[in-house]
Amino acid sequence: MITRSLKRITSVWIITVLVLFVTAIIFGITMRFNQGKDLTMSPVGFYSLMTTHGITMIGIWAAAGLVAVNYLLGRYVKVSVSLNVFAFVTTVIGVLMIWATTFIGKYHAGWTFLYPLPLQVAWAKWATPVFLFGLGILGAGWLIWSVGMLLQILSKYSLKQAFAWQHFSKNPAVETPPLVLISTVSLIGIIVSLLTAVILLVLYFLEYFSGGNFTNDPLLMKNLTYFFGHTIANESLYLGLAAVYELMPESSGRPRFKTTWYVALAWNCTLVFILTAFFHHLYMDFVQPVGFQMIGQLASYFASLPAAAVTAFSVIALVYRGRIRWSLTNTLFFIGIMGWLIGGIGAVIDATVSNNMILHNTLWVPAHFHTYNAMGNVLFCLAFFNWVAHEFAGTQASVKSFRLTTVLLLIGGFGFVLMFYLGGAYSMPRRFSVYPQEFTHAAILASLGAWFATVYLVAIVLIFANIIKKCLKVFSPSFSS
Amino acid sequence: MLSGIAWSAPEDYNFSEESKLYTKIADIKLNTTRGEVMLSDLYVKSPVILTLIFTRCVGICSPFLNSLSEDMDNLNAKENYKVLVISFDPLDEVSDMERMAKRYEREDDPQWVFAVTDNIAELNESIGFYPVWDSTRQQYDHDALLVGINENGYIVRKLTGIRGPDALMGVIREINNEFVLSYPLPRENMIFSCFTYDPATGKKKPSLGLLILVLPGILTLLMIALLSLKKQQQSVGNG
Amino acid sequence: MVNGQAGKINPKFREFNYGLSSGKVCLITDAGRRQFHYNKSNEMREHAILLTIFLVAATAISLFFFFIYRSSLPEDGKGMVNAGKKRLFFALILASVLIILLTVTLPKSPYFLFADETPAKVVYVAARQYSYTMSYQAIDPKSAGRSDTIELPVNQPVEFRVTSFDVNHGFSIYNDRAELVTQTQAMPGYVNRLRWVFTEPGTYNVLCLEYCGVGHPIMRTSFTVK
Ligand code: HEM
Ligand SMILES: [Cu+2]
Repeated sequence: MITRSLKRITSVWIITVLVLFVTAIIFGITMRFNQGKDLTMSPVGFYSLMTTHGITMIGIWAAAGLVAVNYLLGRYVKVSVSLNVFAFVTTVIGVLMIWATTFIGKYHAGWTFLYPLPLQVAWAKWATPVFLFGLGILGAGWLIWSVGMLLQILSKYSLKQAFAWQHFSKNPAVETPPLVLISTVSLIGIIVSLLTAVILLVLYFLEYFSGGNFTNDPLLMKNLTYFFGHTIANESLYLGLAAVYELMPESSGRPRFKTTWYVALAWNCTLVFILTAFFHHLYMDFVQPVGFQMIGQLASYFASLPAAAVTAFSVIALVYRGRIRWSLTNTLFFIGIMGWLIGGIGAVIDATVSNNMILHNTLWVPAHFHTYNAMGNVLFCLAFFNWVAHEFAGTQASVKSFRLTTVLLLIGGFGFVLMFYLGGAYSMPRRFSVYPQEFTHAAILASLGAWFATVYLVAIVLIFANIIKKCLKVFSPSFSS
Repeated sequence: MLSGIAWSAPEDYNFSEESKLYTKIADIKLNTTRGEVMLSDLYVKSPVILTLIFTRCVGICSPFLNSLSEDMDNLNAKENYKVLVISFDPLDEVSDMERMAKRYEREDDPQWVFAVTDNIAELNESIGFYPVWDSTRQQYDHDALLVGINENGYIVRKLTGIRGPDALMGVIREINNEFVLSYPLPRENMIFSCFTYDPATGKKKPSLGLLILVLPGILTLLMIALLSLKKQQQSVGNG
Repeated sequence: MVNGQAGKINPKFREFNYGLSSGKVCLITDAGRRQFHYNKSNEMREHAILLTIFLVAATAISLFFFFIYRSSLPEDGKGMVNAGKKRLFFALILASVLIILLTVTLPKSPYFLFADETPAKVVYVAARQYSYTMSYQAIDPKSAGRSDTIELPVNQPVEFRVTSFDVNHGFSIYNDRAELVTQTQAMPGYVNRLRWVFTEPGTYNVLCLEYCGVGHPIMRTSFTVK
């Protein structure tokens, strides 16, 4: 059941996410202009901003995925609105704490807060515990929310059905909707990654309060960090894909996707691959056992197989000669799938150990993850936002008025990431506030990247403007569900 | 300091282990209990673990050789290598070495070679081994030292002190050109490490930290299993 | 792995094709000491090849999507015929490509590079915020600070033993055209051993590629290869 209160909290989330998104893009553009020497920031200012940008972006798009899934699950199972509201409150508290540490405390250990950097205090003393604690509050809220959603799924579907295992035999009695299957898989991934974060934070606090009597193993901490960070970033994308499966056919006036044996298989495999692919973050740590490195490359490669052969292919098959009624919603889904695939190519190249040796921690890394975030998952979520906004307003997505937006989005988005790819291929390091002079073209690329990102920002603002009025409708007294 | 980040070397960490690595060992003539050979004649056939002792030693030499001999038996390594025991004391004769070989029951073991040499100074210098004569005790002051030499005559690994079978196996692997990509430095107060390198199998042994890494997965599995069990019971109750 | 037979080289390493380039490394046994030969200038090509592969693939995907989009617009609306078969076909092709790429690239992983060679030189590296100490001798953290001027031989294997005395750092080696040649991480508490053969004489710069705090972009050192 999609109740009025669910619509209201969803609307609040959407507005919050979009406001934070625009802000974080501006932070990003500022950083890129600084790298381009069009602006001059202090290194501390740059790195505080980098930390804020990273954690905010990761946070809002994971949240947006959860919001979308929560809303759409309402079509199939009874969903709890109070958990949703609770998670919103913890998120706001968490974000405020984290922003306070970076803007007031000048905390700048990066959003990955790689051990032992946060303990090597180079900022206000209180910032380290407050950052970690803020992250803990945010994570705990989401953990409870995700477990709640999983419970709600399992109260209607058995475990086997939630994983769609009955589709491996002929003529299954019950059909598991793709949305339920994908939500199950992704929520489990999210839960695993949040539990990892909890353990990571506990280990941090143990060391922090032990007064030197307890020291962590940097190798374990690095594994935990990327298990958490990589997994949450990837699962966010899969949450976005849940919305694609549910809404792409619907918004295109085509029959909905069905779960089949290969869809079931693909998503079950994805769960396994995603949980082991994070090893690719440690390729250049020679202390990691070689077996893990091999698993890392294997999992990274094969994660792309179900993604391309099942999800992307289904969308293509749907569109191909489909007489589609294009609106902003399905256009964003369609471009998002394309961006996701292109980012995936960049990822597979980097996930090859022998290439990673010359790409690891160069600009190639932000290149590929910005591709499948800014031009992939973000678009999935925006498409959902746009679709749901029309639902709130009781309007039909109009066919006109999104041409300009689309063109700006494509030029701005791909131009922005192209500058990263070029930088990465020419060995320019990531996370450099300014580039050493031997990288003669780095500043130009950064400047261009910032300008392209500005074009992208214009498109985002246009979409935002389109959505916000409709979202506010749910608060008018006359609004009825 | 907030934390124990700064890595501190324990007092007994011996930096001399890292000296003279990848340099060639002096190719000297050896008078072994089985005749004269050049050192290079030995290592081209199989890589060598070299140890330096003197027979009059009342200190570390005999416990050291004892444990070496025992460890070698226990390891029973299939790799190709020889153990070469050379006296660095000019007063030692081949006959002293024969007696020593007998004491460890290695006189007929083709894998063990006992020798003296006239060129000990040259050998010591090439290894970085510097015993000091203590005239009051009438003894040499020296480290217990193992030197791993590969089949090209290069020093690839050194061990000081009595170190046990694991470390020994590490030497055997390395002289057989197995590349161990990384090694841990001794650290304090670290309980949850992921792996310890186990030279006996050549693999990294999972330790406590690895359990922590899989803990989130296990917890999630447990939770799901519990939930679905509970649900089954409920539906049995309802139906 | 070579099983201890003296003088034998694993045939895998005899001719070594690394990365995606065709820069070849031949290991020739020469009086018990191995000599190395590369084709010149592999690094440059390797970076360019990766970029080209990516750009070609990205362009192909974009054109393909454009084509699909165009097909959706007009008249017929017949949809895709035989979608099931096409999907299977596509999946099989993709799987084969992935498996081929895996079998080709995995053995070229840096972990196996020069594994059974004896380095001509070993260099100890200790990273800290925001500098490196490089020395021919093992570095004692209590007295660290003195760096040797490092000169390494060209065309011979060398080994770096890299660690950190505070947070995680990178140890990334750039040639004088600012191209990343090879790298490893510097992790506190561990020593990572990186083996490499430099085929071009010149000055090499070391940069830190693991974010380590505000001084991260200025953390560097250099050495020469002769
Ligand atoms: C057009 C909008 C965006 C701009 C201009 C932008 C800009 C930047 C810049 C300049 C950096 C630092 C790159 C470097 O390492 O040198 C960065 C890092 C990052 N960005 Fe973005 N970004 C944008 C969108 C996004 C989106 C949508 C996400 C979604 C997840 C995201 C997540 C991140 C993360 C996680 C980092 C890494 C931070 C770190 O290294 O700690 N960004 N971004
Ligand atoms: Cu750094």
